[in-house]
Amino acid sequence: MEPRAAARIRRTLLYVGLTAAAIVVLFPFFWMVVTAFKQPGQAFSPEIFPSSPTLQNFRRVLTDYGFARYFVNSVIVATTAALFATLFASLAGYVFAKKRFTGRDKLFALLLASLMIPGMMYVVPQFAIINRLGWMNTYQAMIVPHLANVFGLFLMRQYMMTIPSELLEAAKIDGAGEWQVFRTIMVPLSVPIIATLFLLTFQFHWNNFLWQLIVTNLERLYTVPVGLAMFKSAHEELYTLKMAGSCISVLPIALIFFFAQRYFIEGMTMGALKG
Amino acid sequence: MPGTASWGARSRENLTAYTFLAPFLIIFGVFLAYPVFYSLYIALHQVPADSFDIFGGLQFVGLANFRELFTDQKFWWSVLMTLYYAALIIPSGIAVSLTLALLLNNRLKGVTVYRSAFFMPYVLDMLVVGIVWTLIYSPHVGILVRIFESVGITAFTERGFLGISGTAMPSVVLANVLKGAGFGMILYLSAIQNIDASLYEAAEIDGASGWERFRSITLPLVKPITFFMVIIGTISALNAFAEVYAMTSGGPNVDVGGKALGATWVTGYYVFDAFYNQFRLGYAAAMSYVLLALTLIVSVVNRRFLSPEY
Repeated sequence: MEPRAAARIRRTLLYVGLTAAAIVVLFPFFWMVVTAFKQPGQAFSPEIFPSSPTLQNFRRVLTDYGFARYFVNSVIVATTAALFATLFASLAGYVFAKKRFTGRDKLFALLLASLMIPGMMYVVPQFAIINRLGWMNTYQAMIVPHLANVFGLFLMRQYMMTIPSELLEAAKIDGAGEWQVFRTIMVPLSVPIIATLFLLTFQFHWNNFLWQLIVTNLERLYTVPVGLAMFKSAHEELYTLKMAGSCISVLPIALIFFFAQRYFIEGMTMGALKG
Repeated sequence: MPGTASWGARSRENLTAYTFLAPFLIIFGVFLAYPVFYSLYIALHQVPADSFDIFGGLQFVGLANFRELFTDQKFWWSVLMTLYYAALIIPSGIAVSLTLALLLNNRLKGVTVYRSAFFMPYVLDMLVVGIVWTLIYSPHVGILVRIFESVGITAFTERGFLGISGTAMPSVVLANVLKGAGFGMILYLSAIQNIDASLYEAAEIDGASGWERFRSITLPLVKPITFFMVIIGTISALNAFAEVYAMTSGGPNVDVGGKALGATWVTGYYVFDAFYNQFRLGYAAAMSYVLLALTLIVSVVNRRFLSPEY
């Protein structure tokens, strides 16, 4: 009887600890949602659940403040960028995993070394390059500079190395060309990692606020985070609207995470655990 | 067999490889490799005061930007604030991540739900997280100020947590730690679960207490993760920007020897400020070069003194 009672107390304490931790970690998001549903002017009422919840804040940021447009821009930028970043990383990952070619190891070391460079380093020169290309205020300015995803290449290579080379050789004996081997054997066998990288790059571009802020100053090209930052500096006092905008900003990623969390967690931690 | 392959087969293989690599390498070359050098070129120039044409108009100024940097009190202060940021976020990040991992390392129903809940904030946007925390930290009416008031602490009421120089940086760091802890948690959890259970059993037989087992088995065996956490904590301090932008804009001001300097004025934010607000491209580029040098120094020091395989 004694050890079982002790086990029960221990279990209860663990649940209390876990729940307390979850409340602390998730509180900002809870508070964001609750505030977004409050009546304007009631942003700071301390009530945990609004007494007369309203959808008015969402309606107003989407229509009066252009968040519908920003949302479409974010979807365009993040989807296009994720598609191409994943494609380029798959092609490159395949080559690094399965081909022997001149300069391979040196090139791979060089690519990995670039991961050490702080992101702030790139802000000024990339901005100048975009200017010189005449790409300011375009979608491609937001997308193209971040299409070479070295971390993604690394994930692809690690995964593709586990696919048996015999499969590729057998296909070649049957007369398949290089591209066909890639498309009909590598891609179908790499679906989990391709899905992972797509989600991770989508998430990266959805949240790529600083860069999107730098290369756009036309309101019709704002993405959700840029729109939110501009809204924040222009209407510091409209808290309920700001929280509604914040909800709209995190909702897609939160939803994707909810349905595909395994891909996120494994993809994001894989590099750290293997490297 | 590369040694025995004919020259023709070899060059065909090279051609295929580089064709597949081409899109990736072109983008890498133009937007990630070239900028490292281009940035140095920009750092040796300045945008003339009356010019909006940043390319035709770039003026060669030699090392003037670097010279100015070394006498710029605001810059050295920003390096100091970056170190302070790192000194706060590294230990607290490790402590929170490890605590969550230890809580999760139990066979309990629903434990994966908690795991997801702890990880989720990591994938969300720092800008949004910062904006929400600004609301929570607000003076007078913010929820945190009210909670403190309800237990009789009114010290934060007037200016809020972000408005007081002593609490601004820890508040920014707290927001970031709670957002990012899920990542470290997963790393620690998998390291803990790889530890051989017989080690704990043996220690238990020898009469080691829970704390002793943690200290002499768990902690040494998760050291590679701790090492990694120190590195990513340092990198996140050197890159700190969105959280500062969203919450404090580098403020509030503190008086340092008669000069007003920002209590959260980290180098990453100063680079942005010089570039975006003042449009001093050359100066911002010079600063980002110093940031790169600091990153390299830190990683060498880490490797030399903290590496798990010394």
